[in-house]
Amino acid sequence: MLTVIVSGLAIGAVYAAAALAYNVMYSTSKVLSVTTGHLCMLGGVFGAWFIAGLGLPIPVGLAGAIAVGALFGWITEIVGVRRVLARSDEHLWLLSTLALATMIQQAVGLWWGTEPKPFPRLIPQDFSAGLFDQKYWLPILVVILMAAGLELFYRLTLWGKLFQATSEDAFAARARGIPTDRVRSLSYLLSGAVGGLAGFTAGQLTFAFFALGLSLTLNGFIALAVGGLGSNLGALVGGAGLGLLSAFATYLFGGEYQQTIAVGLLMLVLLVRPEGLFGAKRVRPV
Amino acid sequence: MIGLQARGVGKHFGGVVALDDVSLNLLPGEIHGLIGPNGSGKTTMLNLLSGYYRPDEGDVLLDGTKLSGHSVQQRARLGIARTFQKPRLLGTLTVLDNAMLGAWRDVASGFLTTAFALPRTLGEERALRSRAEELIHGVGLGHAIHRRANLLEHAEQRFLEIARALALRPRYLLLDEPAGGLTGAEIDHLRRIVEVVRDSGIGVLLVEHHTDFVFRICGRVTTLDRGRLIKHGSPDEVRTDAEVIRVYLGA
Amino acid sequence: MTRGRAKWALALVFGIVLVSLPYWVRDLYQLHLASLIGAYWVLIAGLNLVVGYTGQLSIGHVGLLAVGSYCFAILAGKLGLDPQLSMAICGALGGLVGAVLGLPSLRLPGFYFAMATMAFALIVTELSLAQGDVTGGGTGLSVPGFSAPFDTPWGNYWLILAIGTLITWLTWNVACLMWGRALIAVRDSEVAAASVGVGIFRLKLTVFIFSGVTAGIGGALFASLQSYITPDTFVFEIGLFFFVCIIIGGRGTILGPFIGTVILTALPELVAPLAKFGTFFYGLTLLVVVLLIPEGFGRLVELAVARFSGEPHRSHEVRPDLVRLGAALKEREVAS
Repeated sequence: MLTVIVSGLAIGAVYAAAALAYNVMYSTSKVLSVTTGHLCMLGGVFGAWFIAGLGLPIPVGLAGAIAVGALFGWITEIVGVRRVLARSDEHLWLLSTLALATMIQQAVGLWWGTEPKPFPRLIPQDFSAGLFDQKYWLPILVVILMAAGLELFYRLTLWGKLFQATSEDAFAARARGIPTDRVRSLSYLLSGAVGGLAGFTAGQLTFAFFALGLSLTLNGFIALAVGGLGSNLGALVGGAGLGLLSAFATYLFGGEYQQTIAVGLLMLVLLVRPEGLFGAKRVRPV
Repeated sequence: MIGLQARGVGKHFGGVVALDDVSLNLLPGEIHGLIGPNGSGKTTMLNLLSGYYRPDEGDVLLDGTKLSGHSVQQRARLGIARTFQKPRLLGTLTVLDNAMLGAWRDVASGFLTTAFALPRTLGEERALRSRAEELIHGVGLGHAIHRRANLLEHAEQRFLEIARALALRPRYLLLDEPAGGLTGAEIDHLRRIVEVVRDSGIGVLLVEHHTDFVFRICGRVTTLDRGRLIKHGSPDEVRTDAEVIRVYLGA
Repeated sequence: MTRGRAKWALALVFGIVLVSLPYWVRDLYQLHLASLIGAYWVLIAGLNLVVGYTGQLSIGHVGLLAVGSYCFAILAGKLGLDPQLSMAICGALGGLVGAVLGLPSLRLPGFYFAMATMAFALIVTELSLAQGDVTGGGTGLSVPGFSAPFDTPWGNYWLILAIGTLITWLTWNVACLMWGRALIAVRDSEVAAASVGVGIFRLKLTVFIFSGVTAGIGGALFASLQSYITPDTFVFEIGLFFFVCIIIGGRGTILGPFIGTVILTALPELVAPLAKFGTFFYGLTLLVVVLLIPEGFGRLVELAVARFSGEPHRSHEVRPDLVRLGAALKEREVAS
């Protein structure tokens, strides 16, 4: 029973991380990228490759995974968002990030293989550690720290405020001399780093698996929508809730209806409170 | 009581008061000007009348019936048409298609009747097409009738929006800064068009910055400043009012 | 020859080519490919109204395909009902499921809606795995063909051609008449649509339900071509494929997505190395189109044709015809 809770929170932490990544991108661009889940997936896959495949020391693997995540976050912005934001058609960024996400997932599948591969042990620990296995508490700890770090970033640093200014009104921001393109690039870089780090720390739980991309994009989105777009606390709560729900669903019904139940949760929350638990109400467009 | 009326309406966004106890009545067959500096609440009033906002205080009425709960679409179906400050056209469609869209109110065909191209639907299409064609020529876009809307020049876009609004067979036409970006000659065309519209019995609300244009064409003018009504009357009365001059017209 | 006549002549030639196809393709494999394209097109033609005209980015329509396929396999296969009747029921079921999916999701903003459709596709796969007694679980179901005269490969092809032609004609009508304009208004400017009285949700739901019906029918046709289906047959990537056919073909046209479907289905079959890279290739093509030719290849064709038609763009002053305007405004009642 306790295992169910702990494993639920652990996988929930990964969902929460994806939701955090969504939030960071949204904070400067009002765009939700389909590549978000893939950034986490890349952290896990490349972490495994660096450490187990290339034999690099663990800290290097960690840095590498974060770097890869950040790189693809940046690519998302340059290729999928920047050119498209200039046009008035809001559907386009969804299509371009969807296209990028597809390419990333397929390329990784072709290169890494379509089977989930094991992720190396990061901290020397017996495999019989049960509830205290690092595959559970590593992601939980790291994601909570990341969420706290992001909150401090937005509230206390100048860059955090710049992020928000850029998304509120890009035109006004540019008029005041804020380099909106660069700010946005940086935020996507940061978002990628968040995802990459989360994917790396959760690698022992999820294994290095190419199909995680789309799955985390969707589940991270559910966590985001439930918790509320724009809220990092919401991301944590939404992720935890979704993770726990999935774990209990698997425990009680044998994992056959996991997706259905997850979406059921989403629909329920959206019907009752469309802006999510901690989200802000939207303003009229005209 | 005939007319499209705002009665003591108030609207605020967060802490900002956009409108405070403003009343206005647009009658059929008149051109009613609505002027004021930026931020005075002109567009908010227009949005309230057309249904994009609900008033926080007061009511919007159509011929005495409260409209406050009615959606934008319901008001369109009741004959309230509008244009936008920045023209909102369907760029990939032709001028003709854009104008025909305005006649949606008179489309009785459902999805299946349309899919099977029943004679009734085809007849409806022909009738609405000919109405749109007349309006397109009427506003002066006959030369571009089959041109894609995103290839139009600015003035052409504005006139197309008017044609679309008129295709709705409106009783009231709300124009949101229609003269914006137009040359003197084009404003002259616009003036004549709006006068013909008025003469046909439609009530026109003209929200505008071009005060010369407003005073020349309007029967009555309402002036707002920071959400409050400061003067209402004939163009001469408003133009010579001390408060209006101080707040808006004077140098 | 006027442009209208030229179009009719072209359509006629095209029609003859399609009807006579079984006689001039090289082998049964190519005939099968043509039938597969047809089955896909039945779904995509309906989806085109949703994605291409109304701008609802449904990436999970493979779920509705699966519903149609499983329904057909169960009704015509397990229960032995008449295949043609089963197909009709599949269409109806597709429409019903479309309504159930559309009612809560269509009110959501773009990204949310896309995710909801993706989730739907994954749920359908999950349920088809879980409900083993009905759907055969992981092992799947075998699917019968249609009854005479559609039980031969060419009979089957002509059935698909007939249905495809009907669906194309239906969507063509919708696109060309007032509903088409209203749908495009919902896609490009909801504000403008509302200002002329378009009931946005009602329109979205109606075309979505229609796309469910065509997906159900397409699913039945698809299943009979596969002759055996499992949950793995309906991977999410297929839903992506449908979607990409429409976008690269061009939103707002009927012909564009059709050409997109033909090319994207045939290409991996004809160019062997592409088959392995199939989905990557779709992603790349989608990206290129979105960044460079957002209106799709159909628009490129249009522009090329227009260049040959040579209509010079003359700048012209707006000159109102006030008499005509006054007369037009006199029409206070609706002309019947």
